[in-house]
Parts: sequence; structure tokens; C-alpha cells
Amino acid sequence: MAFLVTSLIFAVVGIIASVFTRICFNQGPSTNLLHFTLVITATVCCWLMWAIVYIAQMKPLIVPILSEVE
Amino acid sequence: MAEIGGGGCCPPMDLMRSEPMQLVQVIVPMESAHLTVSYLGDLGLVQFKDLNSEKSPFQRTYAAQIKRCGEMARKLRFFKDQMSKAGVSPKEFLGKDVDIDLDDVEVKLGELEAELSEINANNDKLQRSYNELMEYKLVLEKAGEFFASAHRSATAQQSETESQQVVGEDALEAPLLQEEKSVDPTKQVKLGFLTGLVPREKSMVFERILFRATRGNIFIRQSVIEESVVDPNSGEKAEKNVFVVFYSGERAKSKILKICEAFGANRYPFSEELSKQAQMMTEVTGRLAELKTTISAGLDHRKILLETIGDKFEQWNLKVRKEKAIYHTLNMLSLDVTKKCLVGEGWSPVFAATEIQKALQRAAVDSNSQVGSIFQVLRTKEMPPTFFRTNKFTTAFQEIVDAYGVAKYQEANPTVFTIVTFPFLFAVMFGDWGHGICLLLATMYLVLNERKLSNQKLGDIMEMAFGGRYVILMMSLFSIYTGLIYNEFFSVPFPLFAPSAYECRDASCSEATTIGLIKTRDTYPFGVDPVWHGTRSELPFLNSLKMKMSILLGVAQMNLGIIMSFCNAKFFKSAVNIWFQFVPQMIFLNCLFGYLSALIIIKWCTGSQADLYHVMIYMFLSPMEDLGENQLFPHQKTVQLTFLFLALISVPWMLLPKPFILKKQHEARHQGQSYAQLEETDESLQVETNGGAHGHEEFEFSEIFVHQLIHTIEFVLGAVSNTASYLRLWALSLAHSELSSVFYEKVLLMALSFNNILILIVGLLVFIFATVGVLLVMETLSAFLHALRLHWVEYQNKFYEGDGYKFDPFTFTLLGNEDE
Repeated sequence: MAFLVTSLIFAVVGIIASVFTRICFNQGPSTNLLHFTLVITATVCCWLMWAIVYIAQMKPLIVPILSEVE
Repeated sequence: MAEIGGGGCCPPMDLMRSEPMQLVQVIVPMESAHLTVSYLGDLGLVQFKDLNSEKSPFQRTYAAQIKRCGEMARKLRFFKDQMSKAGVSPKEFLGKDVDIDLDDVEVKLGELEAELSEINANNDKLQRSYNELMEYKLVLEKAGEFFASAHRSATAQQSETESQQVVGEDALEAPLLQEEKSVDPTKQVKLGFLTGLVPREKSMVFERILFRATRGNIFIRQSVIEESVVDPNSGEKAEKNVFVVFYSGERAKSKILKICEAFGANRYPFSEELSKQAQMMTEVTGRLAELKTTISAGLDHRKILLETIGDKFEQWNLKVRKEKAIYHTLNMLSLDVTKKCLVGEGWSPVFAATEIQKALQRAAVDSNSQVGSIFQVLRTKEMPPTFFRTNKFTTAFQEIVDAYGVAKYQEANPTVFTIVTFPFLFAVMFGDWGHGICLLLATMYLVLNERKLSNQKLGDIMEMAFGGRYVILMMSLFSIYTGLIYNEFFSVPFPLFAPSAYECRDASCSEATTIGLIKTRDTYPFGVDPVWHGTRSELPFLNSLKMKMSILLGVAQMNLGIIMSFCNAKFFKSAVNIWFQFVPQMIFLNCLFGYLSALIIIKWCTGSQADLYHVMIYMFLSPMEDLGENQLFPHQKTVQLTFLFLALISVPWMLLPKPFILKKQHEARHQGQSYAQLEETDESLQVETNGGAHGHEEFEFSEIFVHQLIHTIEFVLGAVSNTASYLRLWALSLAHSELSSVFYEKVLLMALSFNNILILIVGLLVFIFATVGVLLVMETLSAFLHALRLHWVEYQNKFYEGDGYKFDPFTFTLLGNEDE
């Protein structure tokens, strides 16, 4: 559940970023497509990294064992 | 001309493929040739082909002009040398190009050179006489001392002998001796003497040789000069001694003279009488003072001359270099003698056609020629150069990709995705948001001051860092993100987003150090849980996480690479490449390593305890057997068998059909042409003389087959090795976090534990230096290098050919940085 919510947040941030880029750096269709590609790639990379780390901790097989405090 | 281009799989995107280029031919009349080339150089969008490549540099049309420019450049270099020796720096020239005539500049340069050489020669002569006079002065002083002391001792001796005579020894002999002695001073043999200076290191040898050459019939006295003297011949300081040589006879004199010359000992005249010595002394001192003023006046004059040169130096320099470049280019155009015009061929982007035509028109008008220039596009089968229009942000990334190989004309440019994935993979290996912030601050300084810094001349390393400022900016932004995910701020975790998910099993926390904590709350929402740092099971957990993450990211990037090859196949309309290369490659990679990625995700989602090593190994070794504890999802055995089978048939699928299909295509293309080949050979010869285009196509089946075999083996074996290669993402990130942790715990915390302000300051300094030196500089370079390798090898070998050549237009903007 939290996973889906956060993934949705990532998607929304990505869309907002691409709209923002389109508004601020409007330089013709082919250049806009390049900007859009870059923003989407960055969003996907960031989401991928977050998702991997999140899913890896959902059902852990190893638990933290604290070290001896002196 | 781009005959093979066409619709890709998506609408056109900037930077994805090279700009379409065309071969253009320009015919200019002779009178407007110079101006035309100058305007085209200002435009900077034409790469001229050398049409006179068979001619030697001396046979070319404008060889004389280039020699003129070379002469002028030599004079300018001479001026620069003189200016730097005198400490005058040329004035910065940033203004617009004032129209100065090259002939005027040539004349002016000649005049100035003559004047400067004259001043230099005069200066040298004056300096030489000054040094000689200095030496003479020293000789006068030292030899004068010697003669004075000798005179004193001679008079002392004389009074002694006189006193002895009074004693009266032998009556018979004494009168004889007396007479002899009294006669001696008046009837002496004429002794000559020479004075001069000899270098100190040669003085002993000098004395010895003089002694031997004159058979001991000389008397020499040397006296050391304390300070070093400037030698008139060499102009350098040397240690010298003053010597006085007494001899008798002409033969001895000539020998001594020759020996003096051989040893480089300068001789100076010296008179015995005291009055004359004093006179010479005053004369020499007077002349020295005169010379000094003359020399300083000369130097002032020279300085003024050099300053006037310095004012105009940069302007002239630029003009001469520009002219030289124009003449070099003019030499590349071929002379059409019958039509009294020059023909030039070159590559230029299609979008620049109108601008080029405008420049040609302007040049024709400005040079008052009756005939305008002709501009036409040629058709050719040659491969055009690759041209990407980059701005200050994308230039650095494009250069990184170009360093490995320039893209073939119109193939997909890896830079498009590299702009994001390269900083991202760097950040995966660098993840620490504290270090990321430091890197960001450093690069923001470069970016905010870029206008000022781009005009300065920076050192080599700063030049590289400045050129890559946007790359480093992206790297630092992504590092801050991955640092937040790894939850490391100088290796210290913070529970920024929620409290940690783990708690003690019971209230007393008795088993925290043996069995460990349990997960009570929801998963930590963003990143690695902060509880892990410092625990005993931190490394097993993080290693497992990072290794699996590396595999997942690696498989994703490799799939992206194969999809880029699909885009290429679509663009070049090669169905063979789609069905017999792209499809089997996708199937092979995803049936094996895509399946592994899916297993990783399934294991994480279900929390299964199955060991993925065993799953994969038994999938290959004993696929038909029961899975037992390796079961992760229902019907796994069927799925594995299917994937194994698909992977197995994809190998011959990518190896065998393509060469046969290519052979059939080649035969179909050349079927109707076997009879017309005789005529074609003539045409193809003509085409070749125009620029070496490949008119005839050869098809060696064995070569194609071997090529495909190598390609297949590379892909199949590379699938395993490249996937494993991505594990360096894990390795470097582990190294970074461990180094960071060591510096924090063993330096900073230990310094804090002593409760001493001095140790604290020392510890802080060591921590700062270690962080900057090892982590911010060395680790940055290391992660940069490895991210680069991952892109160049593992990503690009899925689709990139990179055997094109870069578009190198004729332009004046680069002249400012040349031959420094």
C-alpha cells in the first residue's frame, strides 16, 4: 500500500517536472522531446533505486543484531 | 546525402542522431575567393575537403602567401620573446576585428624588427665595453696594490743591503759586490710584464703552463677578486683572479700572449708609474659612469618600443593567424584554369545551406566581382562526418562519449541517455549526501562564475574540472539523492522520514546483541533503515541489498542498450537486424538475466528463504528434477524449462540466418548488373578520382559469417560477464561507506573522546583533510572512471558502432587557443 502510494508520488513529481521543463525551456519540438526524455529517465532511475531499497526491506531475512556496547 | 535515413521508431529528437549532412560544391571567381573563405570561416559550418592532396606544399597555388604569413608569424614570435624577456605583457585584445590590411602589417613588422634588432645590437656592444672597463678597473686596483707592495719591499731590501755594506766583511770581495749591487738597479735587464684577469678555476693550470712553457723564467703573481665579475665575452658572472706576469725577452712574451689567448684571459695595459695609474683610474671611472647612463637610456628606449608593439600585438597576431588559415583553406580549393575560378568541395549541415548562400552573396558583393558564386549540392556515397549540435550543458557529455568513439553518421547517440544514467551510476557508487553537498558547493562556484572563468587561462586540471562542471553538477545532485537513500551523512544515518522500523523483542532488550531486533512498524519509507549502521549484521544485509540492486540496474541498462539497437535497425530500415539480431538478443538476455531479476523481486516480495544461487545453478544443471526448497512461485519448473529452451534456440537464431539472408539480398541487388559491369567500371573510376567513393561492393560470405559468429559469441559470453561487471556498483559503494565510516569513527569520534580542545582541533583537521583528499577527490575520480567504463563497455557494446569521424568545420573561433 505504502509502496503504491509512494510510486504514485514519484510519477506525479515526474509529470510536474516535465511540465515545468516544458514551460521554462520551450525550445522547439525536437528539443522538448529531448528534455522530456531526460526528465522521465531521471524519474525512472530515482524511482527504481527507491523501489529496490524499499522492497528489499519489506520482508527481511536478516535482522539487525546490535554490537556490544562497551 | 542521407539516402538511408528515414522514420525512426519515434518522432525526431535533438541530439539523438547526427544532423543530416550534405556534400556541397562551391565555385567562386578568383577575385572574391579570399573574402568568401573569410566569411565562411566566420560562419564556421563548412568542412572543406582537400582537393589538392596529391600536390606537395610547395606546388600549391598560395604557397608564397603562406610563406609571407610564416615570416610575419616568426617576427611576431620574436617580438613576443623580447617582450617577455623585458617583462612587457601584450595588451588584451577583446574588441572587434578592425579592418587592417595585411600588407601594412607586413611593412610595419619589418620596420619594427629592424629597429629592435638594431637597439639590441647596440645594447650588447655597450654592455660589452662596460664589462671590459669594469675588469680593467679591477686590474688597475689589484695590480696597483701589488706594485705598491713590491716597491715597498724593494726599498726595504735596498736599505738593508746598504746597512750591510757598512758592516764591512771581506775587503777584497766586498768592493766587487758593492759595485755589482750598486750597479744592479741601474743596469737591470729589461723586464716586461703583462696584467690581466684569468678565470679562477683555470688559474693554477694557467700558472703551471706558463712556468713550463717559459722554462721557469717568469714570475707570476695572482690575486683573488672577492666578488664575481661579468665576463665581457659570455655576459655571465664568473670568478676571476688578477694576474701579473714578469718575463724577459720577446720569445717569452709571444708564448705568454698565446697562452693567455688560449685560456680566455683578458689582458689590459698597465703602466708602472704611480701618477699614470691614478690618471687611468679616474679616466676609467669617468667612462664607466658615462656608459652606465647610455646603457640605461638605451634600455628605456627599447622598453618604449616594446610597449608600442605590445599595444597592437594581439591584433596583429590574430590577423596573421587568420590570414594563414584562409590561405591554407584556399590551397585546398582546386584551380579551374579555364574558367578563372576556384572550385571547392566540403561537408556542411543541411540546415546551413541558406546561411552559406547568403555568405557567398555577401562576399561577391563586397569584393566587387561581376560574377556571383555558385553553390550546389553533390550526391555521393561517402560517409559524411557526424555533427551534433550541443549547448554548454550537453557538450561535456558528448565529449565523454566521443572519447571512446565518434558515432557513425546517423546512428543513435548514446549521449541522450548518458546525460542521466552516467551521473546516476556515479551516485550509486558514491552515495553520501554530506559528500554530495560538498561536491555541489564546489561545482556551484564553477557554474556561477563561468563567464569570468571561461575568459581566464586556467591550469590543466582546473581546465578539465571547469569543462566538466555540468557533469559534476549532475553527479552531485544524484549523489545527494542516493545519499538520502543509503541514509549516510558522512557515514552517519539519520531517521529523517520516520522512526526506525525495528525494535527490541522485549522490554529489557536482552537479546538485542544475540538474536537481534524484530520489525514491528512499517518499512522505513525512504531508504535504508537508520538502525542498521554499526550493527553486527549490517554488512550481510547491505551486501545482499547492494549486489541485487547492481544486478537489477545492470540488466535494466543492458536492456536499454538492446532497445537502442532496435531503434537503429528501425531507422536504417534493416528488417534483418530486427528479426535476427534484436529479437534473439532480447530473448537470450531476458530469459536468463531478466529471469534472475524477476526472481530477486519475487524473493523480496514473498520473503522466501530460497537461495538464488542454487535456483540458477540447478536450473542449468538439473532442470528436470523437482525444485524442493528452491521453489519460489508455482509452476516454476515449467517456466524455467521454457526459458532455458528459448535461450538455447536464440543462440543459433542470432548466428545462422543473418549471413544467408544478407547473401541473398546482395545477389538480388546485383542480379541485373552483371552484364553492365564494363560500363560501370569507367564510371566508378571517375567517381573515385573525385574523392575515393566505394563504387563497387564486395561480398565475402566467409567474412560476413565470421563477423556474425564473433558478434554472437561476444553477446552470449558478454551477457554473463557484463552482468557480473555491474557488481562494481556494489563494490565501490561498499568501499566508500567503509572509508567514510572509518574516518568518522576512528578520527572524529576518537578525537572527541579525549575532551581536550587541542586534540579536537587536530582531529578535526585530519578528518577534513582525509575526507577531502581520499573521499572527495580520489573516490570521485574512481567512481567517475568506473561509471564511465560501465557506459563505454557494458552499455555501448549492445548497439554502438562508433566508427564515424567528427565534423571539423573551418572556423576562426579556435584560433585564439592555438599555438600558445
